Amino acid sequence: MRASAHIRELIAIAGTDGVLWNPEELMLYEYDALSAARPPDAVVFPRTTAQVAGIVKLARRKKIPLVPRGAGTGLSGGAVVTEGGIVLSLVRMKQIIEVDPENQRARVQPGVVNLDLSAAVAKHGLYYVPDPSSQRACTLGGNVAENSGGPHTLAYGVTTNHVLGLEVVLASGEVIHTGAKFWGRPGYDLTGLMVGSEGMLGIVTEITVRLARKPEAVKTLLAIYDQARDATRTVAALTARGITAAALEMMDGFTLRAVEEATHAGYPMDSAAVLLIEVEGLREAAEEQAEQVQAVCMENHARAVRLAGNNDERELLWKGRKNAFGALGRISPNFYVQDGVIPRTRLPEMLDSMERIGRKHGIAIGNIFHAGDGNLHPLLMYDARKPAERESVAKAAAEIMAECVALGGSITGEHGVGIEKSELMPLIFSEDDLEMQKKMLQVFGAGEALNPGKVFPSGKMCGELRVQMGGAG
Amino acid sequence: MASAVEHVSAGVGSLGGIAAVTDQESRARYAIDGVLPRAVVYPSSAEETASVLASAAERGLAVVPCRNATQLDIGAPPGRYDAALSLKNMASVWYYEPADLVITVEAGMKFGDFQHFVGRDGLWLPLDPPGGAGASIGGVLATNAAGPMRILHGTPRDMTLGMKIATVEGKVIKAGGRVVKNVAGYDLGKSLVGSWGTLGVIVEATLKLFPRPARRETYTLIGRTLDRVREFRRNILASPIAPLRMAYLSDETSAAPRTSASQPEGFEIWIEAGGSERVMARISSEIEAIAKSMGSALAPVESERATAVWERISDFRNALARAHPDAVVLKASLPVAQMEAFLGRALSITGGAGTRTASVSYLGGETVYLGLVPRNSEWPAEATVAQLRAAAEEFGGAMIVERAPAELKRRVSAWGETKDDFAVMQRLKKVWDPKGILSPGRFIGGL
Repeated sequence: MRASAHIRELIAIAGTDGVLWNPEELMLYEYDALSAARPPDAVVFPRTTAQVAGIVKLARRKKIPLVPRGAGTGLSGGAVVTEGGIVLSLVRMKQIIEVDPENQRARVQPGVVNLDLSAAVAKHGLYYVPDPSSQRACTLGGNVAENSGGPHTLAYGVTTNHVLGLEVVLASGEVIHTGAKFWGRPGYDLTGLMVGSEGMLGIVTEITVRLARKPEAVKTLLAIYDQARDATRTVAALTARGITAAALEMMDGFTLRAVEEATHAGYPMDSAAVLLIEVEGLREAAEEQAEQVQAVCMENHARAVRLAGNNDERELLWKGRKNAFGALGRISPNFYVQDGVIPRTRLPEMLDSMERIGRKHGIAIGNIFHAGDGNLHPLLMYDARKPAERESVAKAAAEIMAECVALGGSITGEHGVGIEKSELMPLIFSEDDLEMQKKMLQVFGAGEALNPGKVFPSGKMCGELRVQMGGAG
Repeated sequence: MASAVEHVSAGVGSLGGIAAVTDQESRARYAIDGVLPRAVVYPSSAEETASVLASAAERGLAVVPCRNATQLDIGAPPGRYDAALSLKNMASVWYYEPADLVITVEAGMKFGDFQHFVGRDGLWLPLDPPGGAGASIGGVLATNAAGPMRILHGTPRDMTLGMKIATVEGKVIKAGGRVVKNVAGYDLGKSLVGSWGTLGVIVEATLKLFPRPARRETYTLIGRTLDRVREFRRNILASPIAPLRMAYLSDETSAAPRTSASQPEGFEIWIEAGGSERVMARISSEIEAIAKSMGSALAPVESERATAVWERISDFRNALARAHPDAVVLKASLPVAQMEAFLGRALSITGGAGTRTASVSYLGGETVYLGLVPRNSEWPAEATVAQLRAAAEEFGGAMIVERAPAELKRRVSAWGETKDDFAVMQRLKKVWDPKGILSPGRFIGGL
């Protein structure tokens, strides 16, 4: 590709080192963590809000779609190009602009890595709550776009509950500031609308977040089960007993064996399922809750409940959980991570459905649940070199989604809709509902300028429910 | 089809097939700043509400959604006010799964009835909004109303999983869902929460419930100066205890809640915590130690009195108005670190203006309510409000004029100035309510 007029203009805005346009470099941006789509025409790396505004105006003038992107760890194809366009990478805007410990606030640029923020404020006894499994890599800007969750959002809420204000470059190039450093600025909650809008309404260039105080005590328990059903029953029982865990994760036998072989976290190889449960707060409260959790697990036929004796043991248990996707990569050439939500009391029957669907399509399904809030991550194993397997996986995934909806749930709890699930949106929203959502593009003056082809159904699918796994898988 | 003008001159009649009620008493109940609606209409379902709105839109009639009028006076005085749309006939529970901590109710359900309903299972919505038991779920959501308990789990915004909204197009739109985690589609519900009845009518809400703490304990102490209050606030926030709520009060009006009949010197601090017996023992010793280090004595408060005091703290705006109908109630929101500095400045401004002032400040939302009771009618009302607003903004916050005598309310801005995101807000209003019939002109910037 030659340095076209567009590229020269991008270079004029972001500098020579701020633009990629060689095909071999662009190939890297064909992917996010879902799969590959197609390479962008160029990738541009602005460092300032003014540069973002300049790029947005240029793209508008030339009618080139812009696809905002953070670390590219997304799992729904939200950061890949669908029909050509420029990737607007925000990874070089990675300054923590302000930390205000007394007000428990931080103001950051969108390219700041999630875990880096918690590390930067740790000296004040503070941390940033939402902790996606990719938190060592994913950016806060990406978290805002996807309204990301994580294991510890069970007790304290997801990204939207921790973002107070945004600086946004609109598709017109105009810069606006939504929300404030404090809750309760009068006016419509545009911040709430922006969070989770998957990069389609505006480009976020600054984020004001709330920081939480680290709890005095944390207790991490591992409950081991011979029957997966007993683990799911424990989850419902804990909620019904009013025990609010800070995190409540489940892994089935298939998954935990893979994890154990990869990380040696101490998960028992012969069990059918484990629950990883964390309680926290005042020392007395954490101790009491840990005892209650232990009792509820035993009442629900846990084989054993282990309490992490120290921080190293705790970290090891979590390392196993957070590296689970990687571990599964060792046992299957490919796997497809799904993300669905059901009411948490329906976990036992959902687990049965999962087995049934797996058997029907002849595929192995590993299960990792943010069980406490009914957020499922089934992992569907396949070999991408075998088109028939790929097809089976896509079918099974659509059936799992339909089952989630039938149980009163949703098609995504934290990964977003992206290109992956846009055709599934009619499962949960009527035409009127979707029409109103689409009008938000008008409200923000975005039209189809930003991240086109995401979230909304194309209407080309003629009623067949399909997930979009992307190109190569 | 007859023209809108003819219909208006002919009276409201019926809306969307629902007969409008026009007796004086019904209309007076929903009066705003002395303006009575020409009629009140009581739909019984989401679909009926949507029909009422569609019919009003077609005829260009201005509609204000309401229920119990606990906060109806907040906002600019209505220019046009044809019909009050009351959701009092919509108070059903549609879905309730206590083990999932999820409930779906109609918006007209009273907050007190709601808490009672879920309370039987040891659950609650950890909120203590103005209006208390008399507020409605729809009203609480539409105004994002939350009292000092918001320090715990945030505001209604953070507890709303989904909702149904009746639109002026006559449709019922769904936003969100029924599960605690859900990122499918744009979060339309967020824009309805806190939209003060200007976009659509929230007819049904799905909310996230929480387990109630086993025991609750309220303590009170005196902070002689604002410096002492600041010190206490900082110590509490730096301590490992997470209070259910904390507020501090000053009062020259004999209207605010208080410990004793005599006027305390300085600020009364109230703090409530919850937990098991063992947890409460630890918390009370922590609070006691903090109080002691500041030379203050901590007094536990028995539960009935505590309940009454917290109710009056949450509903300060109405409590003050009942005692002093001519009071001006202002609500400032600002970063927590600036609360005491702002309050100090505010009290000196009102002192200079010759009003008796009561204040209620609470953590969580960082709210400072000021209640100004003029000693005589000659006080510089407009200038004082302007000075207080400037002070709130100087300290990084904003201020709302929640309540004032009608003629003053017409001269000051209820919400303050708009900012660089206002054009987007205007377009949002246009998309939901193109004809501008929902609470027209009452929200910030005339939205």
